[in-house]
Amino acid sequence: MPSAVLRAEALGAHLPPLVVEAERVASTVMQGVHGRRRAGMGDSFWQFRPYLAGDAAARVDWRQSAKAERLYLRETEWEAAQSVVLWRDGGPRMQWRSHLAEVTKKERASLLLLALAALLLRGGERVRLLPGPPRSFQGRGALPALAEALALAPEASPSAADALPRHARIVMFSDFLGPLEETRAIAAQLAARPLSGRLLQIMDPAEESLPYAGRRRFEGLLGELPAILPRVEAVRDLYAARLAAQRAGLADMAGGLGWSFSTHRTDARPETALLALWQGLAPA
Amino acid sequence: MIVFAAPWLLLALLGLPLLYWLLRVTPPQPRAQSFPAIELLRDLPVTEESPARTPWWVLLMRLAAAALLILGLARPVWGPGAESEGPGPLLLVMDDGWAAAPDWAPRMAAGLAALDRAARQARPAALLATAPTETAAPPRVLGPMPAADLRSRLLVLRPKPWPTDPHAAAQALSEWRAAHPGPLTSLHITDGLEAALLHGPLTAAGPLSLMRSQERPRRILAAPRAEPDRLHVTLRQTPLPIASQAAVLARTADGRALARAVLAIPPSATEATAALELPLEIRNQVVRLEIENEAGAAAVALLDERFRRRPVGLLPGAEEGADAPLIGDLFYLDRALAPFAELRRGTLDALLARPIAVLVLADRPVAPGREEQLLSQWVQAGGTLLRFAGSRVAERPDALLPVPLRAERALGGGLTWEQPQSLAGFADTSPFAGLIVPAEIAIERQVLAEPSPRLAERSWARLSDGTPLVTAETRGQGRIILFHITATAEWSNLPLSGLFVQMLRRVVALSAGVAGVPEGEAALAPVESLDGFGRAVPPPPAAAAIAAPALESTIPSPRHPPGWYGIPGADSAYRRALNLGAALSHPQPLAPAPPDARLLPLESLPTERDLGPWLLAVALVLLAADLLVSLRLRGLLVWRAAALALALALPAQAQTAPEGAPALATRLAYVVSGDEALDELQRQGLAGLSDFVNRRTAAALAEPMAVVPGESDLAMFPLLYWAISPNAAPPSAAALAALNAFMRNGGIILFDTRDDGSGEGFSPGSRAALRRITQGLAIPALAPVAEDHVLRRAFYLLHELPGRFAGGQVWAARDQDRANDSVSPVIIGGHDWAGAWAVDGRGQNLHAAIPGGTRQRILAYRFGVNLVIYALTGNYKGDQVHVPAILERLGQ
Repeated sequence: MPSAVLRAEALGAHLPPLVVEAERVASTVMQGVHGRRRAGMGDSFWQFRPYLAGDAAARVDWRQSAKAERLYLRETEWEAAQSVVLWRDGGPRMQWRSHLAEVTKKERASLLLLALAALLLRGGERVRLLPGPPRSFQGRGALPALAEALALAPEASPSAADALPRHARIVMFSDFLGPLEETRAIAAQLAARPLSGRLLQIMDPAEESLPYAGRRRFEGLLGELPAILPRVEAVRDLYAARLAAQRAGLADMAGGLGWSFSTHRTDARPETALLALWQGLAPA
Repeated sequence: MIVFAAPWLLLALLGLPLLYWLLRVTPPQPRAQSFPAIELLRDLPVTEESPARTPWWVLLMRLAAAALLILGLARPVWGPGAESEGPGPLLLVMDDGWAAAPDWAPRMAAGLAALDRAARQARPAALLATAPTETAAPPRVLGPMPAADLRSRLLVLRPKPWPTDPHAAAQALSEWRAAHPGPLTSLHITDGLEAALLHGPLTAAGPLSLMRSQERPRRILAAPRAEPDRLHVTLRQTPLPIASQAAVLARTADGRALARAVLAIPPSATEATAALELPLEIRNQVVRLEIENEAGAAAVALLDERFRRRPVGLLPGAEEGADAPLIGDLFYLDRALAPFAELRRGTLDALLARPIAVLVLADRPVAPGREEQLLSQWVQAGGTLLRFAGSRVAERPDALLPVPLRAERALGGGLTWEQPQSLAGFADTSPFAGLIVPAEIAIERQVLAEPSPRLAERSWARLSDGTPLVTAETRGQGRIILFHITATAEWSNLPLSGLFVQMLRRVVALSAGVAGVPEGEAALAPVESLDGFGRAVPPPPAAAAIAAPALESTIPSPRHPPGWYGIPGADSAYRRALNLGAALSHPQPLAPAPPDARLLPLESLPTERDLGPWLLAVALVLLAADLLVSLRLRGLLVWRAAALALALALPAQAQTAPEGAPALATRLAYVVSGDEALDELQRQGLAGLSDFVNRRTAAALAEPMAVVPGESDLAMFPLLYWAISPNAAPPSAAALAALNAFMRNGGIILFDTRDDGSGEGFSPGSRAALRRITQGLAIPALAPVAEDHVLRRAFYLLHELPGRFAGGQVWAARDQDRANDSVSPVIIGGHDWAGAWAVDGRGQNLHAAIPGGTRQRILAYRFGVNLVIYALTGNYKGDQVHVPAILERLGQ
């Protein structure tokens, strides 16, 4: 369909900068963690095995066979790649930024997701996008395709209908400002697959500090009833306490599921958050 | 002093405290802020209420806006004149005779101000103009009607070029009073003439105010008196306590001022006279005298044929052979005089039966007795007798010679040692002073004058040895002039030279003009009239013809407005003038005002100013500022967006194209000639034409532009007007290339030499300049514009193509060039069309058409329209030639 093509082209036009930025962020983290030459895990040599009847002739390693009088087959190491599921909240709440931040929370979440995916793909892992096409991305060249799929992906929360590899790991990017119960239900349903996961709360600096003053009418982004505050500066501490309680609830929930929880502000450098994420995933 | 037209609206000011209270108790809208974590903010305990009050300055601004709104709607008026207090309706009496013209503007302003006051007081008003109207209707009272409605009636009032009619006005007033009795307040804006007939009933009916000009004298230009070499102009005025000055301008038919005479008027004098001394050659061009800076028909004197026409009678020595080519007595005289004088032939009795200015006797002795007496009387009465010597006169000298004659002498020839004599230069006192004497003039024979003490002063021209050649003597009011040679080439070669023509012209110009009375009681129809301001206009509808003998005694009236009268259809050059100033007696000093009338000066009338719109405007600005401020307070406004909106709302000055970008609108253009006056004339002409075209056709032309070929881009102009100045330089190579490309691509250039037809000789040298200019141009073969040429039928059907001049030939390309839509790339003529089209800033035509008339001006504009349409549509109308063929085909 022409319109789909056009839309894809329009998306593709702004995808490369995002991919490039993600690659840049990812490469700094890679050097910071490993500091060694990269090696192709799937290509490493395992052993030569004598030819047995029934082996395909194409698998014969002719160079090795020419050195001896028998035929040899080259066998490589069997590799079982880890699947990592990535989810980014793209709802209206995420598409917001205050005057204190340069980017919206969604943009920062997309960047972190792609950078993490770049690292994982370089490491040979399989990356699955949620929601997204029911297939995994693999190989270093898959990043642009992943970015495109991310841009085209519908905005939705993970649900039970998603077919996910078992024992995979999941990384969730969101502000988690919705009711705690909903977050808990989703996380519990994912943990029961079973999946082990990691929550990254991305917050705008204004959401942490509430930098407003005077008489204000606050309007939600999901069509909630507006809240009128006669003096905003007077309730700043109360708000901070409520936010801390929300975070504590999230951390408790993650701990209960065996998951981890961390936060990130959009005015901070994305590399920091990525390093933390990568380190959280790397030991596995 | 401020007066409110609707003072009851001021009661609304009492509501301001209520507004103040309302504004104070209503808190401002909170600023809106979108926020994702709104759920965390919900139901937070409210600790204290922020002062949700409108800031005091916003409050002040709103109160001020409301107060200004109320004040503005109450329509305050600053500084109105004394309110006309009195009962009943207002009767405005306007004097609109000739005396009101010089200060018509302040009169009109005063009248309008009075009506405005009446309108504010909701007082009905009536208007009485005291002069008869242009349709010869007597004065009548308009109204009473609402003063605002009467305003438009007053605005169309104009001063009339005839006196007011107080009797008819008084009668109209009494009739009106009979229909509308009751109290009345009246205001008479008077020209100061006696008006007791009106003031009596007005003071009886109610208070009367008299408004009149105290300082300005009323001036009349009386009929000028022509003397042989000067015009005496007389100015009459109401006496002034101090010495003053006035100036009289002499203008030609095309509006040029030829001379200016300054009249010094001593204190309390009522009359002043000055002489207008004009070079003889141009004296006859003066058709109009006017007082400088004084509008009005009484300040204009038109000079008709009486001041200009100089019929010349020719009387040869012998009738037979007088006209024989090259040798006849009158052959050279006829040739020399015919271009500028009206020549008459016949017997002496027949010639003297009608007034003539100059009588030429070519070698014709005067018989003593009755003939001599007749001629002598005629000379005494102012005739100029011009005589030429010859063998007959030398044999029988008579009394009608300026000097006694002695003998005839021959210079040169076979039997004499003497050489032919040449002519000496003219003395400064001679009427011929200034004429150049060609060296080749040789006098071979002449009659000699008897030496006498007065011979020297009577000599106008001498030979190089000192013998008089032309002598003259003043007798009574006339002159006798003798050329001591024949009027043929027999005695000298002077009659063959141009000097002869110039000498004769001076002699004729010296003669007194005569009034040419046409035969019989011919009725003279109005040709052109003067309006109240002394401007030439078409005759008003009521103007009627006057019998020629009655013209002298006619007092201008609506039936006979001042201006030009002529015989319709016949010799159009014959015109008689009816002047208002000649018909008026001495202007009277201001008539005393009735004792119970209030006198108001006209000049120091305080100007009124309606403050309402200004107050409303300020209120609106305040409200707009309040809107911005409250938007800002609610956080709905970003300053940058506001600045952007403001910048957009301002007139898009940054977007204005460079002045006169030719591509943005169709416009005419003229080629800069280098002569500033000519360029201005072209600009005014094209501006006038563009205006006319915009009014009459669907074409929309912008202001004309000046172009310099080779420097300006000509591609955008459909038509270039090029008035040729006599000293124009040939265009440069670049200019030639640009002009040729312009013509090749369909442009039209109109060359105007401004000297053709009736304008012959106005611009000497311009034809040579045209040849110089067009030498390098690709001018196609030319032919006169044919009767069926598209140019004659593009919009109007035209038989002639006049401009300021008429009668010349207009040329266009001969061959129809199909490649260029059969459109001629050049049109060449000399009718000074720009002069006919030219209008000044007030839309008035600047230059009189020659021979003149409204019709010629209209035709000139029509030619302009045709020209523009021709340039814009090409041969579109040329397709009409196919109409017969198409009709024929349709019929089959």
